[in-house]
Amino acid sequence: MIGGLFIYNHKGEVLISRVYRDDIGRNAVDAFRVNVIHARQQVRSPVTNIARTSFFHVKRSNIWLAAVTKQNVNAAMVFEFLYKMCDVMTAYFGKISEENIKNNFVLIYELLDEILDFGYPQNSETGALKTFITQQGIKGQVSKTKEQSQITSQVTGQIGWRREGIKYRRNELFLDVLESVNLLMSPQGQVLSAHVSGRVVMKSYLSGMPECKFGMNDKIVIDKQGKGGASDDAGKSGKQSIAIDDCTFHQCVRLSKFDSERSISFIPPDGEYELMRYRTTKDIILPFRVIPLVREVGRTKLEVKVVIKSNFKPSLLAQKIEVRIPTPLNTSGVQVICMKGKAKYKASENAIVWKIKRMAGMKESQISAEIELLPTNDKKKWARPPISMNFEVPFAPSGLKVRYLKVFESKLNYSDHDVIKWVRYIGRSGIYETRC
Amino acid sequence: MPYLGGEETVRELRRALSNPNVQSDQLRYRNTILKVIRAMSQGVDMSGLFSEMVKACATVDVVQKKLVYVFLCSYAALNPELSLLVINTLRKDCQDPNPMVRSLALRNMTNLRLPSLVEYVEQPLAAGLRDRAACVRRVAVLGWAKLHNLQASSEIDAAVVNELYSLLRDPDPVVMVNCLRALEEILKDEGGVAINKPITHHLLNRLKECDIWGQCQVLRVLQRYRPQSEDELFDILSLLDASLVSPHPPIMAATLSLFLSLCSGQPAVSLAALERVRGPLLAACGSGSREMRFTALCHIQLLLRSIPGLMGAHYKRFFCGYAEPAYIKQRKMQVLVELVNDENVAMLLDELKGYCTDVNAETAQAAITAIGRIGRSYSDRCLEILTGLLGLKQDHITSAVVQTMRDLVWVCPQCSDTVCFALEGCEETLQDSQGRQALLWLLGVYGERVSSAPYTLEVFIDGVRSEASLGVKMELLTATMRLFLCRPAETQDMLGRLLHYCIEEETDMCVRDQALLYYRLLHCGIEETRKVLQGRRSDPSLGVLIGRPAEPVSQWARSFNTLEPLRQGSIETDGALNRLKQ
Repeated sequence: MIGGLFIYNHKGEVLISRVYRDDIGRNAVDAFRVNVIHARQQVRSPVTNIARTSFFHVKRSNIWLAAVTKQNVNAAMVFEFLYKMCDVMTAYFGKISEENIKNNFVLIYELLDEILDFGYPQNSETGALKTFITQQGIKGQVSKTKEQSQITSQVTGQIGWRREGIKYRRNELFLDVLESVNLLMSPQGQVLSAHVSGRVVMKSYLSGMPECKFGMNDKIVIDKQGKGGASDDAGKSGKQSIAIDDCTFHQCVRLSKFDSERSISFIPPDGEYELMRYRTTKDIILPFRVIPLVREVGRTKLEVKVVIKSNFKPSLLAQKIEVRIPTPLNTSGVQVICMKGKAKYKASENAIVWKIKRMAGMKESQISAEIELLPTNDKKKWARPPISMNFEVPFAPSGLKVRYLKVFESKLNYSDHDVIKWVRYIGRSGIYETRC
Repeated sequence: MPYLGGEETVRELRRALSNPNVQSDQLRYRNTILKVIRAMSQGVDMSGLFSEMVKACATVDVVQKKLVYVFLCSYAALNPELSLLVINTLRKDCQDPNPMVRSLALRNMTNLRLPSLVEYVEQPLAAGLRDRAACVRRVAVLGWAKLHNLQASSEIDAAVVNELYSLLRDPDPVVMVNCLRALEEILKDEGGVAINKPITHHLLNRLKECDIWGQCQVLRVLQRYRPQSEDELFDILSLLDASLVSPHPPIMAATLSLFLSLCSGQPAVSLAALERVRGPLLAACGSGSREMRFTALCHIQLLLRSIPGLMGAHYKRFFCGYAEPAYIKQRKMQVLVELVNDENVAMLLDELKGYCTDVNAETAQAAITAIGRIGRSYSDRCLEILTGLLGLKQDHITSAVVQTMRDLVWVCPQCSDTVCFALEGCEETLQDSQGRQALLWLLGVYGERVSSAPYTLEVFIDGVRSEASLGVKMELLTATMRLFLCRPAETQDMLGRLLHYCIEEETDMCVRDQALLYYRLLHCGIEETRKVLQGRRSDPSLGVLIGRPAEPVSQWARSFNTLEPLRQGSIETDGALNRLKQ
């Protein structure tokens, strides 16, 4: 499997190196540095083959993580392992940067010891790792038998994701519906492709081993209920349902119940975790509509006018809106006029960046710019890159709404009403491009 | 690389480690050892400190132990005698009441990689297999695999192998998976673990308890199993159904790989499985991380060889975003070419036309090649686009277009008229040798239809002295000869000049020999020359895009979910084309 794991900084210096198999020598470290990090041309592929050795790498800010192997392994598994490694490191010390790695040197070596043995990935759940890793302090001296049995039960127990005997004074849970809406629109205003990928993240602080049931406005469930009633549901306005293309759940959700009755029931892990991941492509509410208008005046001037329209309830506010309008490479000067927000021409990025702090629904804003071009005798025609947008809206663009989340704990004496529940929807832009 | 400070650092640290004040203060001791490890990571040679580190090993501080072991494992091979001293401490630790300390000791004993220590290690390892704590058992199992790796020639005791087999029934899922891995390594010569019916059923029943890595391992090992009856086969398939659409791409890929190997005798079931995987594969293609997208794309390319229509409705998902890295864009374009059909061809060609002017020259060239491949079935539209691109007069684009046209004409001779028309005036913008070779080939073969052909060739011939590329010179010779055969009056003079130069003044032997050959051919007579030079002009049987027979799944099933799909850079057929044209 994985023969060695190396971590480099942006200059190519080795920060961490750990070799698991004999067939990887010290020269593998240098080979990767010379051929990939210091290579003149752009990164060609995330897998590099040098002398019958394969180097898989992932880059996080300016840190390179490389896994090396000589065997014919599952590529997807190695990448998933590298991501998991990054997640675990982030959970322990926050952002992955050179300074953090140098400060948490010991921790990382401990992690590498536990997570990869002889090149095979072992235990990698953050919760279970906490009992093994002695980060600071002088833990692990004499452990009482109770701790010992806890380790074994957590490691061998059926419910590996939640340990017994958790107690909180206040039982509460937070549900975050995080979505990322991706759009590709043609110059004529036609939607070329649009899809929303979302995740429901739950932070649960509940005592005992509670059973939870999660309900949302899933089309299939509503159709089933509708069939039980008399005539059609179309008359009942306002009950909007979403058709999910495919969704996948955390390990704790009982899939058999989902298949038969489409109900999501589970015993949640303690703390923060991702409950489900889903994808929709139909009936997406596109929060913003961008209408570009570009006019070339002779060969020295370009007039650009961009209108953005917000398409949601007037009572909601979108935030952190940023519109990037690309400009040609031979631009000499730009004059912009906009009524809302601030617009600046950034020569280093070849774009006009227009930032609006917040915008309510059903409103329209406009920016117009005059771009002066240097005369060139290049016959190159400027291929207009698309206009891209970033924003954050407080609703789910897919239309997903959480209907209920019920908690049942039979052994301890608190009921569903005693649990404090919070829900919030955050819709972000992914790749939101309009061609012009 | 701090080689300059190497000697100094070693001496300083040795002083610090031997200082009794440091040794009594736990925190200082630990920090000194930390410095040693840090220097070791950066490449400084710390092997001189081996004896001091051995002494540091005997401590109750678990953190310090771990650091010392990291050091020892790296340098043990250089100091086999001193390593023996560590063994005592390690053996004592193997009986510590704390399971963490036991597992740590066991793991590091086997990491030391010293053949002389093997006899001391075997007994604690055997005890570890029966330990109460699961974490110790996990380490012990893999320890046997490491031992075998160290001394591949010596036989592992059959009793141990039996015990490993029985540990497959251990209640802890990670122990079970580690046993699989260990047995695979130890029994590699015999073909790995013996997969029979009871083991298979046991593994499948416990699949859900394993984590991602465990499941991948189990699914991979099960590929060798052959079910004995159809009922059993379908039972297994329905059990694995949930994994086939798993959210984790590695599990989905591993399950599909297993399905394909189990159903190798029943193509209908294989095809049905491929249909089911479509959704998760598409989701992986849209995943947030680029590497996973790349891997998913490469695997989709394999699938499309058998079911070309699999992603037909979803072709829009493979449109490239502007800022995507070049390697993803190129793979997506290859996939788009496979998905073309009558309904979406206009839209697809429009998209590809947009990519032809990409900033990255390689991506632009890949887009033009893609249009060329589509042109085999939709020649008119593609030629229109290609001719339009010539009008941009940019060298890398023109070069790619000319090469694509050459390939297209080879396969679809009916396009030759349009191509000839478009060639006028190309030579000014061509810079690189590949493009010039392609242009010369076209002029040679279709010279009679391109009116300005002799003049273009004359320009080349005049510049042949400063021509650096061997391929261009060879092609120039052949093209001029061919043109001479159909337009003798215009070309006779320059052919003479060219042959004279190549035979008298050219230093490269290949060119000279070729020119001599042609000269002697001419002496034999025009008919002989014509027979040799005017060979085939086209081969329409190659590479029709649509209506290609779908490959059976078994051809690529073995390489699914390995590194194979990621290695294939370009398409196979282009290589074949180039070889034929000589």
